[in-house]
Amino acid sequence: MLKSWKLKEVVLLSVFSVVFAVVYLLFVHVGNIWSGFIGPIAFEWMFGIWFIVSIISMYIIRKPGAAVLSETMAAVIEVMIGNAVGPRLILSGLVQGLGAEAAFAITGYKRFNTWVLILAGIGAALFSFAYGFFVSGYSALAPSYLALMLGLRIMSGALIAGLGGQWVSNGLLATGALRGYAISLGKRKTSVE
Amino acid sequence: MEFREQLHDMNPAIKFLVVVVSMLTLAWFFNPWTPALFFVGIVSIQLVLSRVNWKLWLLMMIPFSITAFGYLWTTVLFAAETGGMVIWTWKSIVVTNEQLSRALSLSFRVIAFSSISLLFALTTQPVKFVMSLMQQFRLSPKLAYGMLVGYQFLPVVKDEFIQIRHAHRLRGVGDEKWWWQRIFGMKRILIPLLAAAVRKAERAAFAMEARGFTGAPRSEFYKPIPLGINDWILSALFLLLLFASCIVGVLWT
Repeated sequence: MLKSWKLKEVVLLSVFSVVFAVVYLLFVHVGNIWSGFIGPIAFEWMFGIWFIVSIISMYIIRKPGAAVLSETMAAVIEVMIGNAVGPRLILSGLVQGLGAEAAFAITGYKRFNTWVLILAGIGAALFSFAYGFFVSGYSALAPSYLALMLGLRIMSGALIAGLGGQWVSNGLLATGALRGYAISLGKRKTSVE
Repeated sequence: MEFREQLHDMNPAIKFLVVVVSMLTLAWFFNPWTPALFFVGIVSIQLVLSRVNWKLWLLMMIPFSITAFGYLWTTVLFAAETGGMVIWTWKSIVVTNEQLSRALSLSFRVIAFSSISLLFALTTQPVKFVMSLMQQFRLSPKLAYGMLVGYQFLPVVKDEFIQIRHAHRLRGVGDEKWWWQRIFGMKRILIPLLAAAVRKAERAAFAMEARGFTGAPRSEFYKPIPLGINDWILSALFLLLLFASCIVGVLWT
């Protein structure tokens, strides 16, 4: 899988992961304080924040693996920064990345429009919820409460990760820093056609 | 080898594997004893075999305790139907002993997970961890060194963040009144930060390739991370603790 990757793309993933690892850690603290008062549902409405790097990376680099690698890398870097949640994050990062990756894989890595990005956000939400169901023992909660949690998480994945990810990437594209990456080639092709 | 250095010297990749296995195993148990016993065991191992700063440990456990408390009361209030003896009622809320033990189990699980995660975080050097993933688990050098480049950029990213903030302040932007304005305002900081990141990544990649880095898999390393008998003994100790707390937890309930 990595054969087709240029080194500069790998390093780009990693530097993005660093920026978002810091953002993620900030929001973990926000979430932790909330969750003492309102329980695990505190994280749900803003869960999409934790999926955003996979969508931004895939939207920019457009190669198989970009979503899962960037999300996992961000998790590893969170651990390297010295986050107390520790190795558990790497697993959840991997699962979230796989969820986003699944959406791009379904479309054969050919289409990168808004709907596919939203689908990727939803994919990450579904995968991470299934994982959370197992690891955090959500089966002890009432089904109606679980449905509320899942609904919030899907919304958050679609809006914050999907739309938000596209919004940030397009902003970055406008700066001209992304010349030489698949995202600007894609734009040029459509404008020629 | 010094006794109190054991956990610090343990092979990071193996330690990581032990932590993952422990967490995935604990997730199958819904009795309060298993995670509680595991927690006690982990803390004792850490007391004997490491030089952890316990003040820092306590400080880092605070947010997890808050989360655990959140789990406790949510699981009591919004519990799935289980049956069992009713032990407490208040208005329309009925709590059975089954529900209480599940709620206790979930919050102890948060504490147990946190203790083993902290054990990893406080005894592992980040760079050695990535090196060990590359050497023991065959993580591609392209990814491993790519990740380390990102990690080294961390202080630079932090400085840049401060610079961008200063520049915004000088021009009088960035002090919005409402929180939702501030959330959208994050883009103003994020975009320049990411644009600078892209340029840095390109320069670093060029520099690496110019010095002959190909990213090809290799079998010899400048700084080998050892993997020895001690690592297996420690892993066995952790797995024994895991096994014992699972068995005892099931027997006691």
